[in-house]
Amino acid sequence: MHAHIQQRIQGIINNLDQLPSIPDVASKVLTMVNDPDISFKAIAEEISKDQAITTNILKLCNSAYFSKGKEISSIDRAIVTLGIKEVKDIVIVAATREVLNKIIVGYDLARGELWKHGIAVAVLSKKIAIMKNKKAVADIAFTGGIIHDVGKTVLALFVQNTFREILELTQARQIPFAQAEKEIMGFDHQEIGEKILSKWKFPEVLKAIVRHHHEPEKSPAEFLPIVSIVHIANTLCLMAGIGIGADGLYHELSDTAIKTLGLSNRELEELYRDMPQILDQATAIL
Amino acid sequence: MNTLINVGVSQMGASSSPSVLRTILGSCVGICIYDRMKKIGGMAHILLPNNPGDGVAEKYADSAIPLLVNRLLKDGAKKEFLSAKLAGGASMFKFNASVTLGQIGERNVEESKKILEKNGIPVLEEDTGGNMGRVIDFFLEDGRLKVKAGGQEKLYYKV
Repeated sequence: MHAHIQQRIQGIINNLDQLPSIPDVASKVLTMVNDPDISFKAIAEEISKDQAITTNILKLCNSAYFSKGKEISSIDRAIVTLGIKEVKDIVIVAATREVLNKIIVGYDLARGELWKHGIAVAVLSKKIAIMKNKKAVADIAFTGGIIHDVGKTVLALFVQNTFREILELTQARQIPFAQAEKEIMGFDHQEIGEKILSKWKFPEVLKAIVRHHHEPEKSPAEFLPIVSIVHIANTLCLMAGIGIGADGLYHELSDTAIKTLGLSNRELEELYRDMPQILDQATAIL
Repeated sequence: MNTLINVGVSQMGASSSPSVLRTILGSCVGICIYDRMKKIGGMAHILLPNNPGDGVAEKYADSAIPLLVNRLLKDGAKKEFLSAKLAGGASMFKFNASVTLGQIGERNVEESKKILEKNGIPVLEEDTGGNMGRVIDFFLEDGRLKVKAGGQEKLYYKV
């Protein structure tokens, strides 16, 4: 373990200013959506206050993935046509793009690769949720998919200098990459991601997804199914090479996740087989 | 100028010197076939070993390889000058042995070799297996293959 690296990372975590920011509207909408006393009109007004993001949201509403065919030209219409959960997901896409759509040096991800990966995991997570009769949380699985790797945006700088050591430790001790990250740097990208979500004031379920997507068995029991969904979607996207970085497939495919969702070998292979289709759907959002 | 052609998941690309074919691989296999005399070649990025019969041909090793070979022959390649290089077919680092998804990388490599052999195309170089993601560039000016994995680059020249 490199104490000085751990201290530098700790310094970044302690100083919230050094962690990435997203527009306030994201956390406001996440909170408002879960408050039964708040009207759709109030949510639409809140979103519309941010002009730049509203433009992006409307573009996304009319994209091949979200569109229901009818042209949408206002947030009000979007909520009526697509539903509040869908609009919430679109707000998160628009709000997080800037943070995630960039070069992630230490993990060797070219510009746009982490973003594409997050969107593909989001689309696939939603599909798995619906397939496994968890439609009620499909939107949360989608949001979690987008941001599950956000910690990499901060940790990349340190991974760049320790990559060889992390990989050697992975091989010498037969431990997954994230665990080796923690042993070498004192933190892994999941923990950093959770801190970032705290700064963004995101709810516990999303924090659990970000914190445990490589090890669903460590998730609080109430969030195990949804963390398992994102874990499986992440695995399938990496296997298909979508947003695969220097950490490669040095990850564990969790048996707990497979059992929790009751996925058969056949279902897993079918989901993998449909990856080109998932990628097409994701591309419509990029 | 080299034209860079990105080959996506379950897609195929074919061109001539000095184009470069690129793809990113996890458990998928990139099959690169080259005619050393005509300097034309192609790449198939397959996702799974066997076509159930009604699937997209480019997605499966057993249907993509014959398709790619035919395409190259149509473009003027000669069978006796063709050779292949393989890359990809990585697996998850840890998985329960009863989960067949974990073995897809290995099965993809095996089936690709089998189909190439059946088509009489020798596999001269191979960078497969392990747990790494790979970015591969296939240079049609001389048929060399650059494999970038785990922050390192390797070059394979045999044609």
